[in-house]
Amino acid sequence: MVRDDTSKYLPLTESTYYIMLTLVEPLHGYAVMQKVEEISKGTVKVGPGTLYGAFTALEKEKLIVKVKEENRRKSYVLTPKGKRVLINQINRLEIMTRNGLSVKNLYD
Amino acid sequence: MVENTIRKFRWFWPWQDEQEEAWLRSMSQKGWHLLSVGLAGIYRFQAGEPCDYIYRLDYQIHKKKDQQDYLQLFSDAGWEHIGDMSDWHYFRKEAKEGEVPEIFTDVESKVAKYKRVLIYLFFFAVIIIAFWHNVWFDYPYSWWFVTRAIYLLLIASLVYSIIRLLLRIRHLRRI
Repeated sequence: MVRDDTSKYLPLTESTYYIMLTLVEPLHGYAVMQKVEEISKGTVKVGPGTLYGAFTALEKEKLIVKVKEENRRKSYVLTPKGKRVLINQINRLEIMTRNGLSVKNLYD
Repeated sequence: MVENTIRKFRWFWPWQDEQEEAWLRSMSQKGWHLLSVGLAGIYRFQAGEPCDYIYRLDYQIHKKKDQQDYLQLFSDAGWEHIGDMSDWHYFRKEAKEGEVPEIFTDVESKVAKYKRVLIYLFFFAVIIIAFWHNVWFDYPYSWWFVTRAIYLLLIASLVYSIIRLLLRIRHLRRI
């Protein structure tokens, strides 16, 4: 596997992964929470404490950037570095899923 | 003083936040809802209809300007901010249909909270230990044993808190 400056962030936690997935477009916190629950079909819920911590950490690592602040709500979007991290995570997940599916097929 | 309020004093150590949350919930189930928190473990409760309020504590040291969007985020998610006491923030939300809401939804973010407390306690301990010479030798006359005893107790409780928090983190990671 190619190691670059993004490998130290991997693997992402499930919450961080979903939070980053939603930030392909600028969103504020509450919208992120709703969208994560929606696209994960309710399997992942992100509480405000977890989300605030993730925003703080991701912003500090420059994986996301604040694009707007309106009515005390900050909106963030992925940076190019954040996108690279996300893509590498998706690649890892693809391998995981393929491995999982080959085992699952044995049981079907 | 508002009518129908009571004050209670209760001491919790920093690793006992879940016990504290459970105690506040049981107070609400008895019809006593947390109204405010004061310094040094003083809680004020207001009488009301019993209900199943879930209380959750976060530990955050904020600059004032950073606090607004933090509180807004919790408020958007349906959490009411009751107050804060030495950087512990008290939130509550009613449990609906038996579902207990959470502000931290994974182990990592819970661990991160305890780490924030640890960092604070660690710096506090360093500062206090840095002044040991003043405490030990500068207090004159007959009171020296009192200051020394308080000093030793303070250090012992800090070290004990740090150990208990580390154990708490280890326990969380094991689940």
